[in-house]
Amino acid sequence: MDEIKDGLSEIECDVLVIGGGTAGPMAAYKAKMKNPDAKVVLLEKANVKRSGAISMGMDGLNNAVIPGHSTPEQYTKEITIANDGICDQAAVYKYAQHCYEIIEELDKFGIRFQKDENGDYDVKKVHHIGTYVLPMPNGETVKKALYRQLRRARILISNRFMATRLLKGRSGRIAGAVAVNTRTAEFLVVRAKSVIMSMGAAGRLGLPTSGYLYGTYENAANSGEGYAMAYHAGAKLANLECFQINPLIKDYNGPSCAYVAGPFGGFTANSRGERFIECDYWSGQMMQEFYNELLSGNGPVFLKLNHLHKETADHIEQILHTVERPSRGRFHEGRGTRYHETMIEMHISEIGFCSGHSASGVFVDDCARTTVPGLYAAGDMASVPHNYMLGAFTNGAFAGEDAVAFAGEVDFEDYDREEVAREQERVLAPTRREDGIPPNQIEYKARRLVNDYLQPPKVTRKYELGQARLAEVRDDMENHMVARDAHELMRAMEVTSILDCADMAAFASLYREESRWGLYHWRTDHPERNDEEWKCHVLLSKQDGRMTCEKHPVQPYIVPISEEEKDAYYKQRIKAEA
Amino acid sequence: MTFEPFEAFSDVEDLAGKLRDPDPSVRRVAVMELADTADPEAVALVGGALKDGSAEVRLQAAIALGEFDGAETAACLVVGLVDDDPRVARAAADSLAELKDPVAADPVFPLVEHERPFVRAAALRALKELRRRESLAHGLRALDDPDAHVRIEAIGVIGYLKAEEALPALIASGKDEVPEVRRTAVGALAFARSSHAGEALMRALDDEDWSVREVAAEMLGKTGVTRAVAPLMARMDDRDWQVRVKVVRSLGQLHAVEAVPLIAAALGEEVSNLRKEAAAALGEIAHPSSRPYLERYADDPDPDVRKNVRWALGRIG
Amino acid sequence: MPLANTSTTVPVLVDEGKCIADKGCTVCVDVCPLDVLRISELTNKAYMKFDECWYCMPCEADCPTGAVTVNIPYLLK
Ligand SMILES: Cc1cc2nc3c(=O)[nH]c(=O)nc-3n(C[C@H](O)[C@H](O)[C@H](O)COP(=O)(O)OP(=O)(O)OC[C@H]3O[C@@H](n4cnc5c(N)ncnc54)[C@H](O)[C@@H]3O)c2cc1C
Ligand code: SF4
Ligand code: SF4
Repeated sequence: MDEIKDGLSEIECDVLVIGGGTAGPMAAYKAKMKNPDAKVVLLEKANVKRSGAISMGMDGLNNAVIPGHSTPEQYTKEITIANDGICDQAAVYKYAQHCYEIIEELDKFGIRFQKDENGDYDVKKVHHIGTYVLPMPNGETVKKALYRQLRRARILISNRFMATRLLKGRSGRIAGAVAVNTRTAEFLVVRAKSVIMSMGAAGRLGLPTSGYLYGTYENAANSGEGYAMAYHAGAKLANLECFQINPLIKDYNGPSCAYVAGPFGGFTANSRGERFIECDYWSGQMMQEFYNELLSGNGPVFLKLNHLHKETADHIEQILHTVERPSRGRFHEGRGTRYHETMIEMHISEIGFCSGHSASGVFVDDCARTTVPGLYAAGDMASVPHNYMLGAFTNGAFAGEDAVAFAGEVDFEDYDREEVAREQERVLAPTRREDGIPPNQIEYKARRLVNDYLQPPKVTRKYELGQARLAEVRDDMENHMVARDAHELMRAMEVTSILDCADMAAFASLYREESRWGLYHWRTDHPERNDEEWKCHVLLSKQDGRMTCEKHPVQPYIVPISEEEKDAYYKQRIKAEA
Repeated sequence: MTFEPFEAFSDVEDLAGKLRDPDPSVRRVAVMELADTADPEAVALVGGALKDGSAEVRLQAAIALGEFDGAETAACLVVGLVDDDPRVARAAADSLAELKDPVAADPVFPLVEHERPFVRAAALRALKELRRRESLAHGLRALDDPDAHVRIEAIGVIGYLKAEEALPALIASGKDEVPEVRRTAVGALAFARSSHAGEALMRALDDEDWSVREVAAEMLGKTGVTRAVAPLMARMDDRDWQVRVKVVRSLGQLHAVEAVPLIAAALGEEVSNLRKEAAAALGEIAHPSSRPYLERYADDPDPDVRKNVRWALGRIG
Repeated sequence: MPLANTSTTVPVLVDEGKCIADKGCTVCVDVCPLDVLRISELTNKAYMKFDECWYCMPCEADCPTGAVTVNIPYLLK
């Protein structure tokens, strides 16, 4: 395995789904269910059985809008407020209206949600107004259950193919994608009438403080190809300056899950064991508080459970150590930490792009359509804010249904064969060199620079220096990167996405001349929020081969927000500083 | 050079041949591959592997059957459940609990009477999700089982069916000698709107086990038993703060105006979880008499408490 | 620029006595999201070939014989 082979196959399908993590399987499934005659292909860099953020399940649904516990209006309001008003509500509202159907469908698939003794969903409160958290303490088999459905529906799965570029026709419509096998370097060209991208977050953008390239918060296979591919295909990307930064267990770099611990009475505390944030719901404001506390004399920050009954703390431990990131247990064991005895040291994550937790991504409407006809995006890489897992499933479903309808109305779009040849050359270039710089070194350096220069607080001068340094690394990457086998070639291609994402992160951040979303976009040269100038989306795209940004209005709200509610998050900050 | 890019759908017939291989490891791999086919034809073959001479192969078969559903799958798993190897039996129990198709209950029913408590408990656990009315009689009988795990699963079966006629039996289980059984029974009463269920929940407020008191306090608010205000108030001196949190929350949910002074006193508690819950409850009740108390705690050191105080004051207007 | 071979300790261990890769099992190699496990051509057993692990554990959870142990990578443990 891993030797580089010379090969190319071409296949045709109605709907191509790229990325078989969370949104992707649901998109493929829904497309096939809506039109069983359609040929649906699911392409995955890893293996659909255990790929993506949910490879070992999740602690719970973070944003379940369940009748009797919360309403779509309430949810839409909360998400709008948590995003400082920059929110096209149509997609959020539509999600909120339909996500319960998806929960019921997932339940039928055999995905295990927590139920009370009467078999009803056991919803918990974490957010400001409504009640949205539905635990899944036994949810480690979620991918198995999805895979089973895909196999039953006879969906064609191509594992170990990494998509590298999208193909477009002369008309500007989508024509397919190019992928490369991660174990043989053989090429697969997929002609498709519509394409759904669900390649997850850009999780390898910043470098974890451990220095381990794969010690990321996100599944490390999610290196940002989705963003890079959308960019090179001319699709617009929204609000990339709204970074993802998460509060995590220090060094382990996985969530300590206030969502799990919260309903039991656990919370995020400072070194005195006192709470310092109003609400453990992850938002830019909350992260700002967290950051301030870390740096203040009250730091570091901890997850506090040692005031709970030992039985309760043990129960939380048992959940956290079996699902989602089950190696948490091993980590704590190595350090000799028990939740009922000591508080758990926390830290903040490296930066990334992820709408699942913040709001940036490929710009989509309420049917998951991007700005390129026939091209869709869903999940962590699409711009619907605070999506999380259920958002990935639900918007994946919308994407699948719309894409299969679109495919039914059009014929294949022609693409330029030359483009495929050029892409093959681009991909294989690192394999043609005798020696040079291996991808891991280029990646390390690029990501270290991201930490040094792009991590908030964002300082204009630092950003400019960072851009210059990253350009040097890009030059090394384009002219000196070497890959000796197919596996290393995958890493090399990942590096190209990482650098593209770093460039986009820097460019978008410099464009928005204000501060917004708490720590996510804290610009020291423009410390205030400026609603007059900047209460809009920033859309980044490639035009005539160059990166550009434009302002784009926020759609009129469907669910109005009163002045008082709007500032809920800001009051919190002022109060805390006082 | 071209190649086949899709994951294969292995041929069930070929794999059947591998199941006859003399090497148990090869048979084991064949069972895993059969599971991946997701082909209903594979069920009988995997079921057959539950009678394999090698415990490893049987274990794999018990796990693999979790990928399938329906009566045939259940019938196969029933064989695994009575396996002499405890690992096989446990895996079969887990796979049985994955079943969703109500017809899968039929082969499971007889096992409710099995001599081994493990088997009885596993059978009831499987029946719970399947929610068949016929399960009720089995569940009721099993409430008297000598084994506590069986009794807990029996409560599950009844609770999921939300069967009013089973209330007296559930209430009786609230007096079980094992705390976990009592806790499960009290939790299962939440669907009931009858006064008897309310009485049982109120009695459970005085249970000797804190976790039973906690669930009881929570359920009284959830089910809106307004008569429970006085007994809940009496529980405000529970020695366990996790119980007091639920008491406060339920008093809020019940809009217990008479409890305002008592809840307000909880604003001075040491554990901030309780102060926060007290502020939230006062907000829910929104009675003007709580205003002075809330104002006194507007500067609580804990921001979450402050937020709830603000919210409560806003509701009082 | 010539390349050097720098050694690194890997977090995932395979108990060769338990591994049945030689009987056709490839489960751990199949499921790994980072694709860092391989079957050795020398021993016909699974091993960790690349030190690029997300310590996510599907390899351990899905191994039919319990041969795999995931440890926390040294740099962060
Ligand atoms: C540690 C962690 C904990 C979380 N906890 C929760 C929680 O408790 N509750 C909750 O609701 N949400 C939680 N989330 C968020 C939630 O899991 C994600 O929002 C959601 O799963 C994202 O789905 P997705 O389909 O966009 O991405 P993923 O599920 O990550 O899937 C992306 C897929 O694309 C594949 N891929 C990447 N690049 C390529 C390429 N070039 N070609 C082909 N395929 C490619 C990847 O291999 C992967 O399978 C958590 C996330 C993480 C990382
Ligand atoms: S899954 Fe286990 S038995 Fe199979 S190859 Fe890997 S280590 Fe060996
Ligand atoms: S822990 Fe995860 S990344 Fe590491 S080898 Fe196992 S499956 Fe692969």
